[in-house]
Amino acid sequence: MIVKDAVCPFCGCLCDDIEVEVEGNRVVAVANACELGTTKFMCEERLKGPILRDGDGWKEITYDEAIRYAADTLLSAERPLLYGWSGTHGEAQCVGVHMAELIRGVIDNTSSVCHGPSILAIQEVGHPGCTLGVVKNRADLVIYWGSNPIDAHPRHLSRYTRYADGFFLENAFRDRKVIVVDIRRTQTANIADEFVQIKPGGDYAVLSALRAIVQGKTETIPRTVAGVTREQLVRVANLCKGAKFGAVYFGVGLTMTRGKYKNIRNAIELVSELSRHTKFTISAMRGHYNVYGSNEVNTWMTGYPFGIDFSRGIAFYNPGETTAVDILARKECDAALIVGSDPAAHFPRRCLEHLADIPVIQIDPYPNATTAFCNVQIPVAVTGIDAVGTAYRMDGVPIRTRRVLSTDYPSDEEVLLRMYTLMQGAR
Amino acid sequence: MTFLMITGRTVNQGVTVEKKTSAAYAEETSTCFMHEFDMLELGLADLDTVMLTGVCGTVVMRAVASGEVEMGTVFVPYGPYANHIIAADTHSTGMPDFKSHEVEIEPTDEEPKSVHGLMEDLGGLAYDR
Repeated sequence: MIVKDAVCPFCGCLCDDIEVEVEGNRVVAVANACELGTTKFMCEERLKGPILRDGDGWKEITYDEAIRYAADTLLSAERPLLYGWSGTHGEAQCVGVHMAELIRGVIDNTSSVCHGPSILAIQEVGHPGCTLGVVKNRADLVIYWGSNPIDAHPRHLSRYTRYADGFFLENAFRDRKVIVVDIRRTQTANIADEFVQIKPGGDYAVLSALRAIVQGKTETIPRTVAGVTREQLVRVANLCKGAKFGAVYFGVGLTMTRGKYKNIRNAIELVSELSRHTKFTISAMRGHYNVYGSNEVNTWMTGYPFGIDFSRGIAFYNPGETTAVDILARKECDAALIVGSDPAAHFPRRCLEHLADIPVIQIDPYPNATTAFCNVQIPVAVTGIDAVGTAYRMDGVPIRTRRVLSTDYPSDEEVLLRMYTLMQGAR
Repeated sequence: MTFLMITGRTVNQGVTVEKKTSAAYAEETSTCFMHEFDMLELGLADLDTVMLTGVCGTVVMRAVASGEVEMGTVFVPYGPYANHIIAADTHSTGMPDFKSHEVEIEPTDEEPKSVHGLMEDLGGLAYDR
């Protein structure tokens, strides 16, 4: 059987044109997906059932036992941390927010270590963005800044930019220019019309220089800015001003370096300057397939996109204080629920040392690095493979994922709802 | 020698990201991509082991020459090896300095640990060893 128009649950592109061939309830072939998506659809190395750490070993337990253990652990905690959420569907994220409020915990999602700083900048100066379809059909200039889509979002180039047709472009490949700005000469840099190589940590200065040139103050620019020549900066500024419709896509190359959210603020303000001359937009290259959804769900339910602390009985938000890395590094939380992410692989070691000291419940289909720190891990169906649910694409478009396999694994939402029901009964 | 360590995603890291305890994931995320002149300076050949020392610890990786990085900079695919030496300070933003860490790099005879080994060093217990 071939399932058409399946939705890929890997990156923020959320490609919705995947064909999955299923035989005997196994995925045997995947068409249209990139290597990342294909591997995810075909991955079969899942945890068979819930596991409980038992001294120096592990034992298998039932779903009922695991869910009761998880509920009791979180209920008895004074400052539980509920982290992850980007690798699951919106319906499960909703239950997570209700749960955090009930037990007065802190709920944070993976955006605090990817595009959290971008959101801080957007809160300061707004987000002049648009959907991917608008860029595909109209943009004659695309800038990738601090992002490497060939490795991280492989189909972004073929579906929306470099290799995509555009309704309002006669010959999109010829008419659409691509500029890549990075500190490394990445594969993406090699397919750009113009590559701007910046010295590490120099993004803010280069953005400021471009803003000055766009404002007509070229004479204030020194001969080089963070390793970029004035001539190249002027050329890039002219390309931008001469475009009919420009789109900037920035990656964590801007959010994880010195300056963090100030880099993004400067980039948004450059786009604002350019929009006085032509049409320009800017958007983030979101990583997890539903990290955008975790920001959406958290925002409509609490008013804040990540790092929400319910310990006061109301939603409180203060990145740097109420974000997962900080809470773990300060050894503040006394229990953790991890859903749809793997902090042990992606957090600094100091955070892991605290995870080892507290009870940890993980809801995840696969054994991963965080498994080593778990008291209990509960395997679930994978959204987009054997569970359905809503995810938000990187441009904020909600897309309903499809089920391509039928398995006995419960969904994230089902497991979380059962935990939440037990908690409601106890409170 | 002192280098600026930056981390980031690669296709191989993404392909193995749901198989974090596999040898392939460990191999990819324990690779330290360096400029060939820097490797020459340190007397390194491809796949030689190197000790990276950051502000909060050390970790062993394998050096591989790359035309993508500049001299003085090394690139490590995002994962548990780089995070073993990355500090948790977020400067009140929630975001650690994943792309701007100074590290000391020197040749070593030690072998890179497995992901299980790294987790157990920090107090975890491997499941699917």
